Amino acid sequence: MSDQMRNRLMLAVALVLAAIYLFPLYWMYITALKTGSAMFATPPKFLPSEPQWSIYAHVWESRNMGRYLWNSLVIALGAVSLIAVLGVGCAYVLARYRSVWVDIGLFLILMLQVLPASLMVTPIFVGFSQFGLLDTPRLAVILAIAAKSMPFFVVLVRATFMSVPMELEEAALVDGNSRFGAFFNIVLPLARNGILVSAILIFMQAFGEFVYSKSMIQAVELQPASVGLNSFMGPNTNEWNNIMAYATIYVTPVLAVFILLQRRIVSGLTSGALK
Amino acid sequence: MTLQIELNGVNKFYGAFHALKDINLAIEEGTFVALVGPSGCGKSTLLRSLAGLEKISTGEMKIAGALMNNVPPRKRDVAMVFQSYALYPHMTVEENLTYSLRIRGVKKAEALKAAADVAATTGLTHLMKRYPRELSGGQRQRVAMSRAIIRHPKAFLFDEPLSNLDAALRVHMRKEIRALHDRLHATSVYVTHDQIEAMTMADHVVVMRDGVIEQQGRPLDLYDRPANRFVAGFIGSPAMNFIPAIVGEDGMHAVLDLGATRARLALAAPLAAGVAVTVGIRPEHIRIVASGEGAFDVPVGFVESTGSATYVTSATRPELTVVETGRPDIASGERVGLAIEPTQLHLFDADTGKRLEVARAAGVMRFAPRAAAHPAAATFSPS
Repeated sequence: MSDQMRNRLMLAVALVLAAIYLFPLYWMYITALKTGSAMFATPPKFLPSEPQWSIYAHVWESRNMGRYLWNSLVIALGAVSLIAVLGVGCAYVLARYRSVWVDIGLFLILMLQVLPASLMVTPIFVGFSQFGLLDTPRLAVILAIAAKSMPFFVVLVRATFMSVPMELEEAALVDGNSRFGAFFNIVLPLARNGILVSAILIFMQAFGEFVYSKSMIQAVELQPASVGLNSFMGPNTNEWNNIMAYATIYVTPVLAVFILLQRRIVSGLTSGALK
Repeated sequence: MTLQIELNGVNKFYGAFHALKDINLAIEEGTFVALVGPSGCGKSTLLRSLAGLEKISTGEMKIAGALMNNVPPRKRDVAMVFQSYALYPHMTVEENLTYSLRIRGVKKAEALKAAADVAATTGLTHLMKRYPRELSGGQRQRVAMSRAIIRHPKAFLFDEPLSNLDAALRVHMRKEIRALHDRLHATSVYVTHDQIEAMTMADHVVVMRDGVIEQQGRPLDLYDRPANRFVAGFIGSPAMNFIPAIVGEDGMHAVLDLGATRARLALAAPLAAGVAVTVGIRPEHIRIVASGEGAFDVPVGFVESTGSATYVTSATRPELTVVETGRPDIASGERVGLAIEPTQLHLFDADTGKRLEVARAAGVMRFAPRAAAHPAAATFSPS
């Protein structure tokens, strides 16, 4: 009886906390559908009385969102590909060799993770401009994001590789494969889930990245959606419904992917993705 | 018969740790060799060195006459069965079996036929499309074996393949592996910590300790003439009894020290007077007789019966274990006499543990006669 009560209480607390946490998201979705006057009504309405569905097409057209989202996609995919190619090899080495140097390397990698983007952006900007990388600003942002997110990826994927037994690789070596062959035939397929999950997390981070894009990409036609959203908001903005519609279009696909893959992401992060 | 595996003066260091010390081993083609010893003795390191998974530090390693020191595993043409089986979890049984063939570029149809042939002999035909996680321990074991067989390698290397199976299956697989070896006439090196596996399966047993080969030879030779105290204690179950003793002043008898009990044992060949020795007697070579009728009397400590045999442990220091077939009527605390097979005694140097060879006249040790002795009893006189 008391157990049941306790469970119900915990559930109620969880629901309240979830409601508080998700309220901004909810507010974004309903505000997008409100008319200009309904937006500023007091007391506010929690359900729009006359939803404005046409707002999405309007915002998509007027803000040229296709271009912004395309740029976001290019940057996110570029960063994920670069991180995956470089990070997988790095994580594998860190998983298989134990020495003082590996420990030092891991420590440095985690240190990199601690530094915030807003702190790193100035030195990166100066360095990139010296190399002329700012002429290709999307590439510059891809490089910066890769440097920022690589540690996170390496640490996650290293854990995945460590869960693949060494004996499987040795069996492949004795069976007649080379080190590289054993890696690609045996280790990589078994670590695939963990790598995919880590890559998706990186993708979602990069898709919403703002600080580097804002500082390095001056040309409007190369800016990603996060910067586009920012430029939408001026000091005298009052078209909140349009901004919320923009945010809805930007965020919903990412949310959908996360919800669809949520179970796999959680199990991939905890089980080490074997079996 | 040609030598299939040759090791000359092989050493292996891990930093400062000396894992293999001057290993010399010659294995003829078609021999089943067991490497046996307690954990950490270097037997697995030796096996992994043969596979090429560890690099030896110094010495010479040859397989089928070719020097292997710097040859990577894939070019050695040996097959290994791992303790954990190491089946590829993302491949079906069939893919596991054909993996080594596919790497070597064997045509798909040929590889599948080879897999089917092997599966037929190991009883895996109905499991070919299953994944390793869907198999029982025994079935996984068979897949691991089949994966080794399919390649017809120069040598099979087994790394404690039966240690994950339950007792009944282990006894069964022991016979199966041996039968397989006989059918394929393959050279096999089998690592185990279980001396019974080594004794029952191998043609040639290599006993290792602390990176050193303590003794090697045919199983029963090791059992009958262990080269030192370690081998004597390691081979045989229950283990050999060891009794500290001092050679008497005439050099022709030894005085056994059993705590409260002392006994005199005549020697067949003279030893230096006052030398400390260890006398080894296997449990099955002692028989329990009525008090006063054996070589000496001991109080009984424990009596354990397995049904077919009874283990009697004496309340002496050191303890003596006796194996009696059947169910003798003995209770704890009773005093019994021990009759000892005179030809089955082992003598070891008390300091070095090395076997002391006693000259055997016509194969029988001579002992001083004693009145009213049990016919089978070694003759002792209480000191």
